[in-house]
Amino acid sequence: MTEYDDRQIGDALKRSFPPVHTELERDLWPEVLRKLDDRTVRVSFRVPWYDWALVGLSTAMFLAFPRLILVFVYHL
Amino acid sequence: MDLLQRFALGEIDAFETLVDQFQGEIYAWTVRIVRDPGTAEDLTVETLWRIYRARQRFRPDGNFGAWARRIATNLAIDHLRLKPREESLTTEPAGVPQPDRLLQRETADKIRQAFRRLPAKLQVAATLALIEEQPYEEIADALGTSAGAVKLRVFRAVRILRKRLKQAGIGPE
Repeated sequence: MTEYDDRQIGDALKRSFPPVHTELERDLWPEVLRKLDDRTVRVSFRVPWYDWALVGLSTAMFLAFPRLILVFVYHL
Repeated sequence: MDLLQRFALGEIDAFETLVDQFQGEIYAWTVRIVRDPGTAEDLTVETLWRIYRARQRFRPDGNFGAWARRIATNLAIDHLRLKPREESLTTEPAGVPQPDRLLQRETADKIRQAFRRLPAKLQVAATLALIEEQPYEEIADALGTSAGAVKLRVFRAVRILRKRLKQAGIGPE
């Protein structure tokens, strides 16, 4: 069997992949804006891991030593 | 103040103007690579979102179009890496084909499958250079590499493709 040469490979690819329509049919700005809003809301509600660690540690301390709650309340 | 400076400072109105100016160009570039309008639209939206997120890294005296195209190309490469390789991306005409048309279609299917199994970076370089006939300099700019490196990728893509087509028993008519 004969092999494709470089030009034939290019021609075969062009035949196998029909031309695509490159005109954008609609305005994508509303979707971009929605995505920006979504991500902004998600980012603004994100709690850093060290805050969660602090909450966990405090809860463990209060469970182990309930009297610490009084000290904590006193310092508020 | 200049539009690009206002964009770099995070002004949403300036960004809207840039989206209006460049969304068509970004889409056209992306659809040439991924060859599917729906996917290209999604990737264009993602590109524009990433552009806005990275606005502080953009130098207002730089080329916004080239920067956008590079981000779009990287996203398209990621998409090609992640999507199933055997997926067909082109729409076939409906109806019952004639025997020789059937053979042509089968050959085209095999060529597309072999092409889609190439590494994503080789696919992108070969798509833009051989199918879309884009200038090497432009492809290099979008890939963040040199024209020589693009030629090498195309050469490697053709070599692998030739070997795979031979293995599949497909040769020139």
